[in-house]
Amino acid sequence: MKIKVSFILNGLQVTVETEAHRRLLDLLRDDLNLTGTKEGCAIGECGACTVVMNKLAVNSCLVLAGQIDGAEIITIEGLMKNGALHSLQQKFIEKGAVQCGFCTPGMIMSAYALLLSNKNPDEEEIKEAIAGNLCRCTGYKQIIEAIADSEI
Amino acid sequence: MIPELEIIKPFSLEEAVDFLNDHPAEARIIAGGTDIIPGLMQGSKRFTGIKYLVDLQQIDELKEIIADSENITIGALLTFSQMINNDSLKNNFPLLVKSASTVGSVQIRNRATVAGNFINNAPCADSVPPLLVYNAKIKLLGVNGNYEMPLSDFLIKPYFTRLKTGEIVTQIILPKPKKEFIGDFYKLGRRRGVAISRITLAALIQIEDNKLGEIRLASGAVSPIGMRFFDLEQKYSGSVISDKLLKNISSDLGKEILKVTGLRWSSEYKVPVTQQAMYLLLERICSAHKQVK
Amino acid sequence: MNDSFSIVGKKVFRQDAYAKVTGQAKFADDINFPGQLFAVMVRIASAHAKIKSIDYSEVINDSRLIKIIDHSNIPGNKLVGPIRNDQPIFCFDKVVTPGDVICMLIGENVDDLNKLKRKVKIDFEELPVLNDPLKSLEENSPLIHPEFENNLIIHYPLRKGNIEKGFADSDYIIEQTYRTAFVEHAYIEPEAVIAIPQETPNSVKIVGSIQNPFTCRKVVASVLNYPLANVRVIQAELGGSFGGKDDTMNILSARAAIGAMITGRPVKIKYTREESILESYKRHPYILNYKVGAKADGKITAMKIDIIADGGAYSSMSPFVTWRSVVQATGPYEIENVQTDVRAVYTNNPYTGAMRGFGSPQPIFAVESIMDELAIKLNITPDEIRRRNCFTSGSFTASGQKLEKHDVNLIKVLDTAVQKSGFKEKWIKYHSLQEFKSLEHKNLSFNDADSLILKEQDYLNNQNYLRKGIGLAVSYRGCSLGAEGIDAAAAYLSLQNDGSLFLLCGLSENGQGLRTTLSIVAAEVLGLTLDKIIYLDQDTSLIPDSGPTVASRATLMGGGAVKNAAVEIRNRLEKLLVDEWNLAGDAVFTFANDKVKYFGGGAKEISFNELCALAYKKGISLSAMGWYKGPDVHWNEETGQGSAYFTYVYGCQVAEVTLNMATGEVFIDNLIAVHNPGRVINLLGAEGQVYGGVTQGAGYALWEEINSEKGFIKELNFDQYLIPTAKDVGKIKPYFIEGRDIYGPWGAKSLGEPTLELTAAAIANAVRNAAGKRFFNLPLNLEEIFLGKKLKAESLNRGSA
Repeated sequence: MKIKVSFILNGLQVTVETEAHRRLLDLLRDDLNLTGTKEGCAIGECGACTVVMNKLAVNSCLVLAGQIDGAEIITIEGLMKNGALHSLQQKFIEKGAVQCGFCTPGMIMSAYALLLSNKNPDEEEIKEAIAGNLCRCTGYKQIIEAIADSEI
Repeated sequence: MIPELEIIKPFSLEEAVDFLNDHPAEARIIAGGTDIIPGLMQGSKRFTGIKYLVDLQQIDELKEIIADSENITIGALLTFSQMINNDSLKNNFPLLVKSASTVGSVQIRNRATVAGNFINNAPCADSVPPLLVYNAKIKLLGVNGNYEMPLSDFLIKPYFTRLKTGEIVTQIILPKPKKEFIGDFYKLGRRRGVAISRITLAALIQIEDNKLGEIRLASGAVSPIGMRFFDLEQKYSGSVISDKLLKNISSDLGKEILKVTGLRWSSEYKVPVTQQAMYLLLERICSAHKQVK
Repeated sequence: MNDSFSIVGKKVFRQDAYAKVTGQAKFADDINFPGQLFAVMVRIASAHAKIKSIDYSEVINDSRLIKIIDHSNIPGNKLVGPIRNDQPIFCFDKVVTPGDVICMLIGENVDDLNKLKRKVKIDFEELPVLNDPLKSLEENSPLIHPEFENNLIIHYPLRKGNIEKGFADSDYIIEQTYRTAFVEHAYIEPEAVIAIPQETPNSVKIVGSIQNPFTCRKVVASVLNYPLANVRVIQAELGGSFGGKDDTMNILSARAAIGAMITGRPVKIKYTREESILESYKRHPYILNYKVGAKADGKITAMKIDIIADGGAYSSMSPFVTWRSVVQATGPYEIENVQTDVRAVYTNNPYTGAMRGFGSPQPIFAVESIMDELAIKLNITPDEIRRRNCFTSGSFTASGQKLEKHDVNLIKVLDTAVQKSGFKEKWIKYHSLQEFKSLEHKNLSFNDADSLILKEQDYLNNQNYLRKGIGLAVSYRGCSLGAEGIDAAAAYLSLQNDGSLFLLCGLSENGQGLRTTLSIVAAEVLGLTLDKIIYLDQDTSLIPDSGPTVASRATLMGGGAVKNAAVEIRNRLEKLLVDEWNLAGDAVFTFANDKVKYFGGGAKEISFNELCALAYKKGISLSAMGWYKGPDVHWNEETGQGSAYFTYVYGCQVAEVTLNMATGEVFIDNLIAVHNPGRVINLLGAEGQVYGGVTQGAGYALWEEINSEKGFIKELNFDQYLIPTAKDVGKIKPYFIEGRDIYGPWGAKSLGEPTLELTAAAIANAVRNAAGKRFFNLPLNLEEIFLGKKLKAESLNRGSA
């Protein structure tokens, strides 16, 4: 059964017709063509599908379409402002925080949610914030540096 | 693949209870969804036949934290993140907040609820041992109205509770411990980040003049479900604190756990380590007490 | 050119990072084609079974199904494999491991297909299951592949000197057995591929998460029975591979291609994490028996090594993986008398193949452990025993190869690591803490409940339950493929007449940063700034077959090819300037910052874009194909003697750990990694390789393990298969010692794998230093440390892991 869901996506009001049991992840990737959000495990362990929902980092594989009516959702595609990279995106480039790049969008969204509530996180706070984002390439060091250097 | 289902969003508890009772076999409450959605995704037998998920997010009273002189009552939809950021809970129930901060990842804690944690009743539910040592009670709502029950009675066996079809856990009532209680929570996982617990322990004790007053001990993961050790607590209440005593308590805990679990594949590791961890925990609590004095 | 570089060795930002941080980079599953169908795999729950019949009657007429594909639809080779063709695209006679696929269903909706696949009725007869590689060669063991006479995949002997005499001459002998586990690559992107039929008859395009597009093309062409030119493989952005998206992806591509050619529509296959871990190959578990004889002064006189590698159900890369093991098994030590036997065998376990390190982490763990044991026995420090035995310039390896034509700077590497970490003092201090009895958990017994209850004296307290340890490990590593195969690579450079440049190499960007590394090489030669370079998509139809992107060979071989092409173009441009400016033929120019300068009598200067425009006007070719071929190497299969690799790199890692004696937890406080990669091209990327490799190595050391219970895998997702998170590894500090080499661009060789191969060994030695006791089985998880053995869960169900 199709339902109508309205929410704010990357600053724009959107309304989609979809099924209640569809995962937010699939809605973003398949229906809205926002493929920056990635699927790595489908059980909330890898964090590749992290988006920011109502100012909090969530795994979009663990949120159903029927749960997002009225929510405010930001994906990696919503971070740039007026064609300029967000500070996090710029620092990820400069610090070498990107290798294969598959975890990068989710990692940046977790970091973004962290900065929303904590403007000057220390190293331990950064590690805690991204502990739910698995990266197999970088060993996290340059990611942590990049986040520490970023501003909201 | 998530099976086709509808999400029902009642505006009141009554509406929710009615719906649950009208669809006893097919409706299930969804709180944070961090157990149920992966369960559905993987076709877990525990979640087959669900046609309706009842999402309680619109019911604001389930998100409230109410403090009075005796208790802090938290709504069943409180997430672990909300719990971690609440000063009143931090001050009164530090073990619970500590355990909350070890649950999953930030993403999980932003969704998962403490009520969901014990309703799911996995052996490794991190918040259960602290809730037990704080003598948490839960408030349930069914067709016959509200009633309360100690959490320790509510939990039956892994993945089973006394929650009846058509009932909702609405609140968790946490009696404020007397000031002189001191305690700690311990969790062992295979790694530091986002770890499923191998062992959890909670100890809350009263120390009076080098004697143990009331003591409350609970474990998780190493026991089939989170559980208190009432016999042990009684046995050692009133004892003079000594290094030997703390070791005896810990060894007795090992015996109690073995009684409950029998010998399992993991006993060879978990049973000795649990004793050792409990001893270290008790030693730390007692020395913290000395320092406070 | 001299060694003063304008860009080489600096911290350079990746060119592809912009697309990746904005979410615009297109990974395989981000790409869809009009009319695209999906395919899902059908398997049976068995590790070894004879397929008796397959009944499609319940699905064949279902409207949700478009086509069923099985072995009968394969026009070409039904069996594939990099060395031995033993792996079926679709199983037809039997299943030999639970990841095996019998058929696939094609339709428009994956959910529908997943429902339908349960209705395919497969009648099978269970066969005896072989899980223990030590039993593979026993006479009554079940034959995994009856077409071969036994379960032996390969045996490599190596004989040097006189082993009996070596042991007879020794004062001390140590013999120990070490074991390592199955390990999953755990790239965060699961496998995905799309096959698209092309307008030309009998031709197909493949777009996917493919590590080695040319190998993939070869497999797809052989399965479809097409000429190579009819199969075009394009690499999507690759979400991590680490050696893992090779065989599996080639087979998936072949399946998708058959589906696409039969349906006439694009077919996508996308794996869940569970399917990925179930079907993809793993790192080989090794059982390694080492016997070492040494004189009282620490000089090793003999080393006897016997290794069994579990190849699992298919041979895959086992013959190459174990060949690297036989070459490097003694470690970087000059030993006169060596006898090594490495065997890879079939079992019904998940099959094993290439993974970063490729047959080196296992023997390094064993040999570096036993070197420490030898040091302790001889009462010298671990760095000292290594100094007394390790390779120097002109040393001979176990295979009799003389180390020459490159800096054999292992001692410098070792000394740097020892000095930077304060190794010696710390090691002696921790080692001397003998008042703490070594970790002995008495006689804990599964069957005896009483033994599990601690006595008063058993308890550790808050003052003594944590211990510190420090450990080091050294290695040498042959660069590139060695005697495994032909070693050559191509690169294409096309300068535009405004000075911008297209670049493409036959080796692949797998996330490691190759595009940027190769762009730096071109930029250095031509004096370009990096923003002028556009790196093209990897496409088998546009560039010559350069072999696989493996063996840490891409910088060395690809860089060599890019440099050759760039130098060729530069020579043409220089010749043009000599003519234009009337200079002597040997005039020296500098190419830097988009300018070309001549400093001889009467300095001259031209901007690079003007120069390109001029060349274009004069009809001078601005494009070139560079080719780089490694020198010949050779190997004697009978004796294990020969020049295995044409050059080597050296590394040393020092781990400092805190050991929780109460629980068996190990935390890595510090890890110092000193590597000689020859030449660092991109410092930012090189440091990233170290951080990443060390972290993977830490996972290998402490947590990662696939348990194959009768062939079935318990750890099918990241809740059970534990890779390090951001919280799990302490500080990592890389140091690079550069060395001169005649090969590769300015001597740049290998780094990716050396960073990983040492870590587990260094950690194991640090744990030994802390515990006063040796642990023999990776991973050094809680139970291994606490009990000295692994505990296995009784069921495969999820739960407290």
